[in-house]
Amino acid sequence: MNGSDRQPPSARRRVRAANVVRAANAVRAAVPVLVVLAVATMLMYPVALLFGLPLAKQRMDNLSNWLRTTVTALPLAELPAGSESGAEPGARLSFGASTQQELVADLDAAAGGDAGADASGDAGGDAGVDTGGLLVFGGQPLGSDFTLVAGDVVLAAAVDRPLVALGVQLEGPLEVRSGAGHLFRVPAPAAASGGAAAGADEEASAGAAAGADLTLYLGSTLLGRASYPAIERADGVNTRFTFPPGAREDDPVIVDGRLLLPVIDFSVDGDAVDLAESPPFNATIVRLTGDYEVVDAAAGFIALRAASDTPPRAADGVLALAETLVGRIDGVNRVFNLRHVPLVETDPGRRIMLDDRQLDATPQRPAERVDGSTSTFTFPGEPGMVFVDGVELVEGRDFTRAGQTVVFTRPPARNAALRQYRDYLVSDVATGEVTLSRAPSEGQRLWAGQYTFYDRPACGSTVMECFTSLPQHPVPFPNWIAERIVPFFTAYPLSDSRSIVRAVLYTASGTLLALLFGSIVGVALAVVFVRIKPFERALLPWVIASQTIPIIALVPVLLLLLGNAGVTVQTSLVPAALIGAYIAFFPVTVGTVTGLRSVDPLALDLMKGYAATPLQVFAKVRFPAAVPFFFTSLKLGAAAALVGALVAEVESNNRLGLGYAIIGQVQAGDVADVWILLGVSALLGIGLVGLVGLIQRLVAPWDRTAATLEAEGRGS
Amino acid sequence: MVFQVGKGEAVALHDANLDIRAGDFVSLIGPSGCGKTTLMRLVADLIEPTAGTITVAGKTPRQARRDREYGYVFQAPVLYEWRSVLANVTLPLEIMGYPRSERTATAERLLAMVGLEKFHRQYPWQLSGGMQQRVSIARALAFDPKLLLMDEPFGALDEITREAMNLELLRLWQETRKTIVFVTHSIAEAVFLSSRIVVMTARPGRIREVIDVDLPYPRTVETRETERFFDLTTTVREALRGVDH
Repeated sequence: MNGSDRQPPSARRRVRAANVVRAANAVRAAVPVLVVLAVATMLMYPVALLFGLPLAKQRMDNLSNWLRTTVTALPLAELPAGSESGAEPGARLSFGASTQQELVADLDAAAGGDAGADASGDAGGDAGVDTGGLLVFGGQPLGSDFTLVAGDVVLAAAVDRPLVALGVQLEGPLEVRSGAGHLFRVPAPAAASGGAAAGADEEASAGAAAGADLTLYLGSTLLGRASYPAIERADGVNTRFTFPPGAREDDPVIVDGRLLLPVIDFSVDGDAVDLAESPPFNATIVRLTGDYEVVDAAAGFIALRAASDTPPRAADGVLALAETLVGRIDGVNRVFNLRHVPLVETDPGRRIMLDDRQLDATPQRPAERVDGSTSTFTFPGEPGMVFVDGVELVEGRDFTRAGQTVVFTRPPARNAALRQYRDYLVSDVATGEVTLSRAPSEGQRLWAGQYTFYDRPACGSTVMECFTSLPQHPVPFPNWIAERIVPFFTAYPLSDSRSIVRAVLYTASGTLLALLFGSIVGVALAVVFVRIKPFERALLPWVIASQTIPIIALVPVLLLLLGNAGVTVQTSLVPAALIGAYIAFFPVTVGTVTGLRSVDPLALDLMKGYAATPLQVFAKVRFPAAVPFFFTSLKLGAAAALVGALVAEVESNNRLGLGYAIIGQVQAGDVADVWILLGVSALLGIGLVGLVGLIQRLVAPWDRTAATLEAEGRGS
Repeated sequence: MVFQVGKGEAVALHDANLDIRAGDFVSLIGPSGCGKTTLMRLVADLIEPTAGTITVAGKTPRQARRDREYGYVFQAPVLYEWRSVLANVTLPLEIMGYPRSERTATAERLLAMVGLEKFHRQYPWQLSGGMQQRVSIARALAFDPKLLLMDEPFGALDEITREAMNLELLRLWQETRKTIVFVTHSIAEAVFLSSRIVVMTARPGRIREVIDVDLPYPRTVETRETERFFDLTTTVREALRGVDH
């Protein structure tokens, strides 16, 4: 060809036109690939849902994964002016605050809906309307009538006693590393009030009690205690923890009695926080979402969510709004319902109050064995309802009582569960049904001092939310993978041996070495096989057998040999290169043998006519004819050699390569990262095969198998 | 000439006595299986006769092959697809150890002779069938053999290309004065090209008749229109049908 300077302008135009055509062809070749990628990506969404939704549903249906909420008497949310002395009729009192609003709303609904069903909830109530609630002060019901107006209590009559008895002022704010205003301390006398003369341990438990029972006011505003635990468990390594949605950016985190503040101690990423250092194994990690949370109950430390210059104040007693139980109080009815269900089965803090008396639900066992013949039993405690296997027995008909002794008319069956309950029994946790041993008489008040129920699934209110917050997705959404790509690749700088880019290059170089070795061995074997027939007959079965040995079994043997030869397999490319070569040589041998034999017999006749020597025939005809076959088989070998190299890396515990990264991510359980690594491996495979193709084009530009189908179409 | 085929024997050529003079253009024509190709391959020492002798330029076929006395052109071009057009033509010269400059000069001259001077760098698959066959002819001429064996070289070409190639081959033969043995199925082609036509019969392959073609040179497209041309084709056709003269 002439130099371009001597080409006429039309030729240059033609070259330029050819370049345009080539570019257009490249684009056209890329389109189907991109379409397939897009379709596969889109398909991942339904597949992710197919696998993930059942898991999410399971998580959502399992009560042990639900958030529990404790219902207590709600203290005054806002102290009205003059609350030290009492309140006038018509005074408007607020008990609603953040999470507690729900309850008041519920009471509101009860006021409208259940009016007929439990009209006698308030003795002498205004027009007999049950508000579902009851004003109490320190476990004592007040006889004050009220109505509910937009969630607020409006008193019908005056309360002529103090609404609040304020106690000690907390110490603080105390200095924390990153700033003041959050940490306060319950003063020692208050913390130790449970046992002044007790030792350190008892003091600690007293402090815990003080911390747990605190009712705190900042100014005249009640502080609500709330926090969410992290979804992940502290495994001693992990530094990233996610919390249920709804937290603010600057909400503090409490790790095992230590208050951590944003920016200094952790960074926030959506619903997740990244701690500066990993918390110890099994550490309790919570995020403050209420107004305050107890940091260290023993030492009396509490943390406020929002910084404050003035310390909060504890209230010893305060007017509170308690829930009544649903059910008719008429001296006959013994079955009532709690308003929030389902109940937590084992709830040591559950307090059901009849007027000012706390009812007892401790199951009493008889002193005697239930052996099927005994019919006289003694119960140590106060008399109450008697149940056999969950069925209540009727006094007079089923048994007679004499003091602590109960005589059955028929002996209960052997090993039957015989229990006596003094005051009440939760007969159905699902509906919150409570059975009392004696029916309350008219004018008595039955109310809930405290109980805990399953509020809602921790993962979210819909299956989709639970799906999104699954800690492990078998198949993640592609966009989640996409979001991880940049952080995944930039997690370590290029200078760091843990950098993924370096791992890719490392494994690529191992595989290329493998292809080099594999090609040399494969071609040498092929030449021997074609030139010397007996060799082929003798060796070919062994060559085939070599490929049936699982490399997983072969690698340890190889590693042992290499180790004995003084190779540090953990940091060496040799195992990957050898195993890759071991896999790659086979297709190369087979392909090259086929290629060397693929020569047109007429072409050999021609060579005979030229009186060519056997060496010339090999060099000029057989070798060139085998080149396309060699490269095609080397492409097969490249993909297989990559797998071999990865396996060799994993088994030799070589942390520099991609194989270890994949296994590490599978074990660390970051599924999105595993998918990224799968993609990277696939791209590496494509890249290696492409590289072989590129070499093929350079070495054998005449070979049409190297070109795309389109080029072939244009050629013919 | 007896071929072993399976358990029995097939006689491919029997009693085939033929004398070809230097500078002759001899066509072998006959039905399929009459032993035309066998005869060519015997001459080329690609197979050995079971009986009888062949002498090429006063030597045995083996000696003639070793002395590179002939060039062979098959029905298929049999080009080496990994070599460019030029490199295909230089291949025999490479094997025979000619210096590079001479190889290239010879190949360029021959490619120009067959009208492919613009296609040196192309690969065979980029050429049409006729062009490929021309490269094949150029390659057969590369080491200047005395004898050119052409086994249905234009059999796979369409009629138009074929006639053009016929004219070209005739011109080439007149330029180089090679001895050409040409196998064909086409009576018209045989008459148009040859100085002598050998009509063969099948089973066993025999030489029925040798017909001298006295058409004057240079032969052109008009030659095909002449009465003598028609007479000769008739003669050949009758010989093929077995009518004696």
